[in-house]
Amino acid sequence: MDCDAFRDEMIDLLYGEAAPAATARLEEHQAACRACRDELASFRRLRRDLASWRTPPDLGRAPRRLGAARPYLAVAAALVVLVGGGLALRGSELRYEQGRFAFRFGQAPEAAALSTALAAQDERHRREMDTLRATVTAASRSDEETLQKVRQMIADSEARQATLVTTGLTRLEERTEARRQYDLAQVGAGLSYLDGKAGLQAARTTELMGHVLQASQKK
Amino acid sequence: MTLASKLTRTMAPTDEELVEQFQGGESSAFDVLVYRWERKVQGAIYRLVGPGEDVRDLSQETFLKAYRGLRTFKKEARFSSWLYQIALNVCRDRMRRGRGKSYVSFDELVEAGEAGAEAGPSALDLIEARDLSRQVAAAVAALPEEQREVVVLKEYQGLTFLEIAEALDVPLSTVKTRLYRGLGQLRQQLVRQGIRGGAPVPAPTT
Repeated sequence: MDCDAFRDEMIDLLYGEAAPAATARLEEHQAACRACRDELASFRRLRRDLASWRTPPDLGRAPRRLGAARPYLAVAAALVVLVGGGLALRGSELRYEQGRFAFRFGQAPEAAALSTALAAQDERHRREMDTLRATVTAASRSDEETLQKVRQMIADSEARQATLVTTGLTRLEERTEARRQYDLAQVGAGLSYLDGKAGLQAARTTELMGHVLQASQKK
Repeated sequence: MTLASKLTRTMAPTDEELVEQFQGGESSAFDVLVYRWERKVQGAIYRLVGPGEDVRDLSQETFLKAYRGLRTFKKEARFSSWLYQIALNVCRDRMRRGRGKSYVSFDELVEAGEAGAEAGPSALDLIEARDLSRQVAAAVAALPEEQREVVVLKEYQGLTFLEIAEALDVPLSTVKTRLYRGLGQLRQQLVRQGIRGGAPVPAPTT
């Protein structure tokens, strides 16, 4: 018997798409062919088994496994988890517990990990703040000391400067006085020399004039 | 305009009418088509490529290609067949380009199931439905591509043979032959894994 000739009809019948005439032909064949009858029955059982494979309800969402391969998805997922986790943590403990059992199993360890992470971060933040505060206080204290030292240094420096200036002035005064006296001596000497010279010149001029006078008188 | 109001306004139109609206310049008609088909397309992609792949990603790629091609879509074809054709091509591309293999291994399915079990209810389906669901998934994944496509479109997407023939661009008889072979292979595979449901009843010796 040519069972293969009825194969398409059997498939049609299996999925409810067989035309009445084809169904009648197949049934006629199957009445005489146990193998075809069994095959149709086994395919029907198979279809029941196949129906057990259902698509997951969160099909449209990105699978978590891809997070490792695609960092931006992981970041996005982390943001979502963070926001969701933050909201959950803001609520009461009871709400959190409900969330833990009412929804996904996967979220419970994540939320727990999140709260641990948040607590750790908070702790770290507080530690850092304390350290920072201590540093600031220490800095202000040492600043005052420095200021004092600077003031002292300035005072010392001013005193030293004053001494130097005084000393300098005294020395300058002494030197200037010496110079002045020397110059005065020089000027005095010069004047007497000029005086002498002038006297000589005057005498000579007078003598010359006398000679001129005598010569004119003789004429 | 909200999607809901858009839907009430366009609840009646068929896919082909929506395509016509879209081609007439009403871009929002495409939103309705996406709303109508997204879940089904995602289901098909999930079963074609396996749980390890990013279904949402491939689904978005499918609808993006559909959006680009819809202006020149020929009205004599069925929109659903055409859409599935795009989805099938996207899946084929991904499998050839991505992994250099045509199906996910059983180990990967189990691994994905376990990873998912930690992640959320998605994988709980696989775990809760126990061996049968997992083994069915593995058996379908192990089919040759041509058979797997027909099995997925018929068994899980509920397309008619004609729609499948259109989507695959092959004769009706080819679709039926591939399906027959695919079912035979699945039955064999499940029997090998100890699931007796699909096993043919042995003919009496007398």
